[in-house]
Amino acid sequence: MTLLDDAPVADGAGDAATGMPEQPKRKVRGLTRPEWAEYAIALVAGISLALLLRTLLDWDDVMGSAIIAGIAFIGVHYLIVRERTSPDVALDKVVTTMMWTVGAVIVAMLLWMLSYVAVRGMKLLNWTFLTSDLSTTGSLEEGGGALHAIIGTAEQVAIATIVVVPVAVLTAVYLHELKGRLAGLIRFVVDSLSGVPSIVAGLLIFTVWPGYAGIKASAALAILTLPIVTRASEEILRTVPDSLREASLALGAPQWKVVLRVVLPTARTGLATATILGVARMAGETAPALYTAFGSASVNLNPLNGAQSSLPLFVWDLIRVPDQRQNDRAWAGALVLVVIVLVLFATARWLSARADKKLGRR
Amino acid sequence: MSTHLDHDQQHRTNESVALAPQHLGPAAQGASSLTATDVSCWFGSRQVLERCSLSMEPGKVTALIGPSGCGKSTFLRTLNRMHEVVPGAKIAGTVELDGQDIYGEDLGVTEVRMAIGMVFQKPNPFPSMSIRDNVLAGLKLSGKSAGDKDTVVEESLRRAGLWNEVKDRLHDGGMSLSGGQQQRLCIARSLAVHPRVLLMDEPCSALDPISTRVVEETVIELAHQITIVIVTHNMQQAQRVSSQCAFFLVEEQKQPGRIVEAGDTATLFTNPKDQRTLDYVTGRFG
Amino acid sequence: MAVGDAVAVAARNVDPMSAISPQVPIRPSDRPSRGDRIFRGFTVGAAMLALVTVVVAILFLANEARPALSSTGLKNFFTSTIWNGFIGQFGILGVMVGTMIIATIAMIVAVPAALSMALFINEYAPRKVGRLLTSVVDLLAALPSLIFGMWGRDAFQQKLVPVARWLSDHLYAIPFFRLSAEDVVLVRSSFVVGVIVGIMVIPIITSISRDVMAQAPRDVCEAALGLGGTRWGMIRTVILPFGRSGIIGGILLAFGRALGETIAVALIIQLTFDINWHVLEAGGSSVAGLIAVRFGEATPLERSGLIAAGFALLVLTFTVNLIARRIVKRGQIK
Repeated sequence: MTLLDDAPVADGAGDAATGMPEQPKRKVRGLTRPEWAEYAIALVAGISLALLLRTLLDWDDVMGSAIIAGIAFIGVHYLIVRERTSPDVALDKVVTTMMWTVGAVIVAMLLWMLSYVAVRGMKLLNWTFLTSDLSTTGSLEEGGGALHAIIGTAEQVAIATIVVVPVAVLTAVYLHELKGRLAGLIRFVVDSLSGVPSIVAGLLIFTVWPGYAGIKASAALAILTLPIVTRASEEILRTVPDSLREASLALGAPQWKVVLRVVLPTARTGLATATILGVARMAGETAPALYTAFGSASVNLNPLNGAQSSLPLFVWDLIRVPDQRQNDRAWAGALVLVVIVLVLFATARWLSARADKKLGRR
Repeated sequence: MSTHLDHDQQHRTNESVALAPQHLGPAAQGASSLTATDVSCWFGSRQVLERCSLSMEPGKVTALIGPSGCGKSTFLRTLNRMHEVVPGAKIAGTVELDGQDIYGEDLGVTEVRMAIGMVFQKPNPFPSMSIRDNVLAGLKLSGKSAGDKDTVVEESLRRAGLWNEVKDRLHDGGMSLSGGQQQRLCIARSLAVHPRVLLMDEPCSALDPISTRVVEETVIELAHQITIVIVTHNMQQAQRVSSQCAFFLVEEQKQPGRIVEAGDTATLFTNPKDQRTLDYVTGRFG
Repeated sequence: MAVGDAVAVAARNVDPMSAISPQVPIRPSDRPSRGDRIFRGFTVGAAMLALVTVVVAILFLANEARPALSSTGLKNFFTSTIWNGFIGQFGILGVMVGTMIIATIAMIVAVPAALSMALFINEYAPRKVGRLLTSVVDLLAALPSLIFGMWGRDAFQQKLVPVARWLSDHLYAIPFFRLSAEDVVLVRSSFVVGVIVGIMVIPIITSISRDVMAQAPRDVCEAALGLGGTRWGMIRTVILPFGRSGIIGGILLAFGRALGETIAVALIIQLTFDINWHVLEAGGSSVAGLIAVRFGEATPLERSGLIAAGFALLVLTFTVNLIARRIVKRGQIK
């Protein structure tokens, strides 16, 4: 993977450095002419077989025909490639086709899901939706919005992040930098925690700390994300080369300064990325908030006391009632949620891409 | 919290200065002698060095040569207590800096490493810091007060022979330099804390020939000011830069490495006492 | 002067055969500075604090489950499918089996898809396509399960009806695919939920198996290609055997996640307490979904029952997860 990745980059750099006119690059991974022909023949055969069956048997199922065409394509392709080369090569071709198909299907699913949310959500998403709550708006009235839910999500996620990130990073430092005596035990508990189902995280907080408040949802979210962020941080600390630790120690630094001044600053982009992804995860979690924050219809600014809504709770409550307008509100809330997650995701991507470039890792 | 601990570090340093004023105090700058006596090393239960003794003269360059895996890097790392960074690493024998045992009770490991700097095989500037901050990193990390920082930066970079190349871009990232420049930046970083001995572990093995030449010139230049111990695979390099030389060898597989012969570089290369040394320096094996 | 030099650096190497007492290796001791001790205490404290809190919470949870367990009896709790808050009977057999059914269907969907994605990205895809797919998979992992559930309920499950119909028409040899009657509803079923949860856990398997498969020794891979082998041949002979334990571990992790999936399940499934082996028909069960839907309006005793069920689920996912981590770790050391 690395080898193939690096090759084209190195070529380009070489050309630029010598100042020579750029040489045309040879394509090394493209298809040869017979291969093109094979694909074309198989494609034609597959489609015509499907069309033939369609007219002969009088089908009108488009999906079914497409699947028949696909299977026929793979079969015919296998046979003609085997004829020209060998069964091994033909099998390789079949596998390649299937992998392309799976990739395309997954991309299509994702696009379908995102566009579906966008279309359903756009119906009610407007400025009013973002700036009003549902305290006076019932299912019969127009207007109303998710302000209370947005505020709730912001507060709950912020509190959980403030707790989780330092604890997770310190735990990762203990596990990877100090390698203390308790490391085995702590790693065991972190591993098992990463299997806690989200609804159980909510139940844990409910039993220990009954009653409804935003901060209790934060606690449940923290239980859920702590192992994720700890694990991610440990992975990131692992990418900091040991030579930097040695260089710092050789300069006469005590270990705590090595960690705080060299290791963590070197890893900071990675840690920021992990944090952002953790925030995105928390923003979308419904189950931990169900019986901790509980949800409400009006703005509750105080996360320490009283039921508080959050975006997922808002959506969850309104999508389950048999009422078109409430459902539309739920979809608008879902769109807001998806946009938040997408923005966070894109930020994390951008950060890590920039860091890779800066360190020359590309 | 940070400042508080900085003070703590400061305090510790001063304490040890009081214990051994003539050895590690800031007044006693310049070159020092380093003497290893009967140093043996283990990784876990595997012994890798057996009773190596060597004295490294002040203001001279001592080269450690020998085939791969003969323990010369390990020996180098015992000289500023980097050996023990590896879990399970053990040691016996003494190493004295101007007569004071660096493994003794009086000295903390951080003070030892401040007095005896180290440059590694691969250049390893801190990627999160600028060129300037890289030079100052040692001072920040060890909690030493810097005086005028700009002076320290310029002086260290000049001594490492890098000043003219980077003086206009001190705030660029340390990783923006070429490999050879990065290595000289690492040398400057080590020099900024005013060590009295500088250990170099094959500093040129990751560099191209031109960068190698520049680093060698830097080493020769520095030898007037501090004691240098350099591990090298390259026998031409040993002859070019060092005035003293020690030859390490593992005689049989799984045996610990030993010093076969040590002495004046010219003598060692032209007229060695030991047949094995002669074989090695003339390229008959290794 | 020259003589002096030579003497000074002369090797003082002692013949090991001579009768000196053997050296004793020591580990050089260095009392950590106060800063280091404080720092160490701080990190240990942070790590332990979080852990102790969670362990205490789990003990609380176990305690809260006691009323329901004593009213049901431990044996009935595990072996009965009767769930009735009024008579204080809480049997989790039905919901547990239902949870397993959903998770198993999810695996049947996710494993082939996730593994082909992993191989495709690592070995087959052109650079740009590979990058795109990496982002797509990561994004699938980042999207909330609520969104999957809503999309599954309102859009996707209708498209699965013909598939379910086809399976019941053509594969009725397999008992699970039989229908109990001609006119049953084919939505809100374990099958639909399983497929959606399967899509949700694809990223878990893909990312873990990609990591292990990328560690396969490159030189051996190249040797396989250099002998004129195809890429698929190389994958079969080098990469898959090398990555086996990582792949199995990843699948188990995804299985654990599928067992605990709550919101998407609760949104789509029509909740039952019996075991419904007709996976294509409406009606199925899930512990997590049950808790999410019922806990709000439950009596205190039923809450205790739900907590007991949650505790049982927790123990199950813990076990699956720990086994999975062990297997993944074993794969990485190799």
